[in-house]
Amino acid sequence: MNTLWVVVTAVVVIYVAYTQYAKRIDRNVIKADAKRATPARMYMDGVDFMPTSKNVLYGYHFKSIAAAGPIVGPITAAYIWGWLPALIWLVIGVSFIGWVSDYSAIMVAVRNDGNSLSAISYKVIAPRTRTILFIFIFFYLLLLAGAFVGILAAILAARPDVPFGIIVLALMGLLAGQMMYRWKMNMLLVTVIVVAATLLAMIMGPMGQKHAPNGALIQGPIGSAIVSLNKTVDNMNGNQPLFALQDPTGADPRIPVPGPDGKRPTTAAYDAATGMIRTLPDYLLWMVFLFAFSYLGANMPIWRFAQPVNYIGFWVMFITIVLSGIGALTAPLTGMKDAAGNLIGAFALAPVKSLGFAIEAGKAWQPLWPMLFVTIACGAISGWHALVGSIGTARQLEYETDGLPVGAGSMFGEYTLALLSLVAVSIAGVGGGGGRFATGVGKLIYAGTFGLVPEVWGTALGFGAFVLIVLTVTQLVFRVMRVTLTEWVGDVIPPVRNMHVSTTISMLLTLALVLTGTWVYLWQMFGASNQLMAALSLLVVTVWLRSEKRNPTYAMIPMLFMYFTTIFATMVTARNLYVTIAANPKMGALPVAGAWAMIVLAALLIVAALFIGWDGLKAYRRYGATPAALGTKEARS
Amino acid sequence: MADQESKKAGGLKGAWQGLRQTIYGMAAHDMSRSALRTRASMEHLFILITMGDLLGVPILPPYYSLRLLPYVVPQIATWKRRMLREKDASDGMF
Repeated sequence: MNTLWVVVTAVVVIYVAYTQYAKRIDRNVIKADAKRATPARMYMDGVDFMPTSKNVLYGYHFKSIAAAGPIVGPITAAYIWGWLPALIWLVIGVSFIGWVSDYSAIMVAVRNDGNSLSAISYKVIAPRTRTILFIFIFFYLLLLAGAFVGILAAILAARPDVPFGIIVLALMGLLAGQMMYRWKMNMLLVTVIVVAATLLAMIMGPMGQKHAPNGALIQGPIGSAIVSLNKTVDNMNGNQPLFALQDPTGADPRIPVPGPDGKRPTTAAYDAATGMIRTLPDYLLWMVFLFAFSYLGANMPIWRFAQPVNYIGFWVMFITIVLSGIGALTAPLTGMKDAAGNLIGAFALAPVKSLGFAIEAGKAWQPLWPMLFVTIACGAISGWHALVGSIGTARQLEYETDGLPVGAGSMFGEYTLALLSLVAVSIAGVGGGGGRFATGVGKLIYAGTFGLVPEVWGTALGFGAFVLIVLTVTQLVFRVMRVTLTEWVGDVIPPVRNMHVSTTISMLLTLALVLTGTWVYLWQMFGASNQLMAALSLLVVTVWLRSEKRNPTYAMIPMLFMYFTTIFATMVTARNLYVTIAANPKMGALPVAGAWAMIVLAALLIVAALFIGWDGLKAYRRYGATPAALGTKEARS
Repeated sequence: MADQESKKAGGLKGAWQGLRQTIYGMAAHDMSRSALRTRASMEHLFILITMGDLLGVPILPPYYSLRLLPYVVPQIATWKRRMLREKDASDGMF
C-alpha cells in the first residue's frame, strides 16, 4: 500500500458517492429547488441571515467543521486496530452517513425558517428535547475539552521544541487583533507578518538539535531553554511527581511507544518498571498555560484574541495540508526516500493490528464494532457539523440547490483531511500519537516540496499544526461551554451568569477530568457523545421527513446504526472504566474517582439519548398517523 | 451575486475566482460575520432604547425618538425581525 492509492480511493469515493447517491437524494427526496426562497433571502438582516456565495459558504462550513477530530480520531484508531479498518470506516461512513448528516441538517433548517436543530427538535419532537440537548451539549463539550487539554499538555511537556511556536502564536494573535482592528492596517500585510513570524517560531523550536554519540537527542538553544524551564518547575517539588497513576490502556500521550525490543523506555514522566505515569509539575505548568490561553480566548472580545489566533491557525494548517497533500500524491510517483532511506510513500504501519473482539478478564475491551465507529468521529460523521450547519450555514444559503455542494461537499473535504491524517501516521514508522502524525507530515512535506523543506522543519510544522488546530478549538470550546453553562444553570445559580465564574467552573471540571481520567476512554466517550449527537440530528431529520410525508429511509438507517452503535460504545467504555480502573485494587484513589465520574457521565449521556430516542419514536408514530404534515411551512401554505 | 459573477467569468478566470472565494470563506468569513454581528447588536440596542415603543416596549422621551426616526427607518424591518425572533443559546454559538 502506498499514499497514491489512498489519494485515488479518496477521489473515486467522493465522485461516486456525490454523483450517484447524494445528488439523487437531493433531487428525489429533498427536492431542492433553486426558485424557492431560502431563509437567507426571506429574512435577510445583513447579519445572521445573509445570502452568500456557495464558494464562500463552502469555505466557511469546511473551516467550521474541520477541527482536531479528523486528525486525532484516525491516529488513535490506527494505533488500536491498524490503518485498514480505519480506512474502510472512513470510506463507508462518509459515503452513506457523513454527508447525509451534514447536508440534511442544513436543509432541515432551511425548510424550517433557519431555526437551529434544538429549536426544530422542540417543534417536531417534544419541548423537553431542547432542554436535554443543551445538557447533552455541555457534557459533550466537557469531554472534548478534557481529551484535547490532556493530549496538548502531554505534547508541550514532552517536546521542548514545540512550546515556543505556540507562545509566539499567542503573542501574534494579540498583535494581529491590534493591527487589524485598532491600527486598521492592511489585511494582507498583517497576514504576512503574523503568519511568517509564527511559522518561523515553529521552525526555530527544533533548530540546532543534534544527536549525541549514544543516540540521545540534544536540544538546540530554544529547546534547551524550555527544558531548563521544565526542570526548574520540577525542582520545586524535588523532581518528585505530584502524584502517580496507571493507565491500563497504555494510550496516555505521556507513555512512550515501545522501542525496537518491544519494551517501553523509562522517561521523566513514565516509569517503565512499575508502569506508573508520573504527573510532574511541568505537566501542570503546561496545563495552566493552556487554560490561560483558553481563558483569553473565551473571555476577551472575540476580535481581540480568539479570532486572530484562529486566523493565523488557519493559514498554518492550510499550508501544512496543501503541502502534505501534494506529498501524498507525488511521493510514490517520484520514489522519494526519507533520511533513513525508506520510501516516503510506503505504509509502515500494520494494516490490521487486532479486531479486538476477544474479551480478557480485567482488561479493556476494544471490539472493532462499536468502538472504531466512535474513535473515528469527525472524518466519517459528526454531530458538531449538524450544529454548525443548522445555525451558521443554513441561514446564509442563497439557493436551496447550494445545500448539496456546501453541506455534502464540506463533509467530503473533512473526509479527505481524515485520510491525510491516516496516511501521515501510517507512513511515519516511528513515534506515537501526535508525534507519529507530525513525523508523517514532515515526510510528506519533504516529498511535497521535492526536498526543499527538510524533514525536521516539516515535522516541526506538523507538530505546530497539530497543536494549533487542537488549541484553537479548545479555546472556542471553553467559550461555548460558558455560554451553555450560563443558559443551563444561570437562572438557578445567578453567579454563574458572570462569564469569569462560568469559565472557571468549566476549566476546573476539565482539570479534574484530565488529572484523574484515562485519555483513550476520554476520547472514546467524547467520540460516542459526538456521534450520538449526529444520530440525534438524524433523528430530527427523520421525524421531519416523516412529517413532510417524504421517504425518510436515507436518514433513518444511518440514524438507527449510529444511535445503537454509540449507545453500545458508551456502555463498553463504562464497562472498561469499571473493570480496568474502578474495580482494580492496584489503582490509586484519584484514577478510581475519575473512572467513577466518567461512568456517571456515560450513564447520563445514555439516559439523555434514551429520552430523546423515545420522544423521537413517539413523534415518528404521531406523524405516521397524521394525514397532513404538521406545523411545517409547506403544510400551511 | 459573487457566485453568478464567477459563473459568468467561466473557465480559468471563474475557477480562480471560485478558489479566491473559497479561501476567503475559510480564512475570514467568520471574522466579517462576527464584526457585522457586533455592529448590528450595538445598533439594534440603540434602536431598542430609542424606538422600543415600535415593539411594545414603553419608551418615555418621544422627542428624541422622533428626531432620530428618519435615520432609523431603513433598519426598522430587519431590526424588528432580529429582535422578535425566538432564540436559544445555540444561536450564539456560531
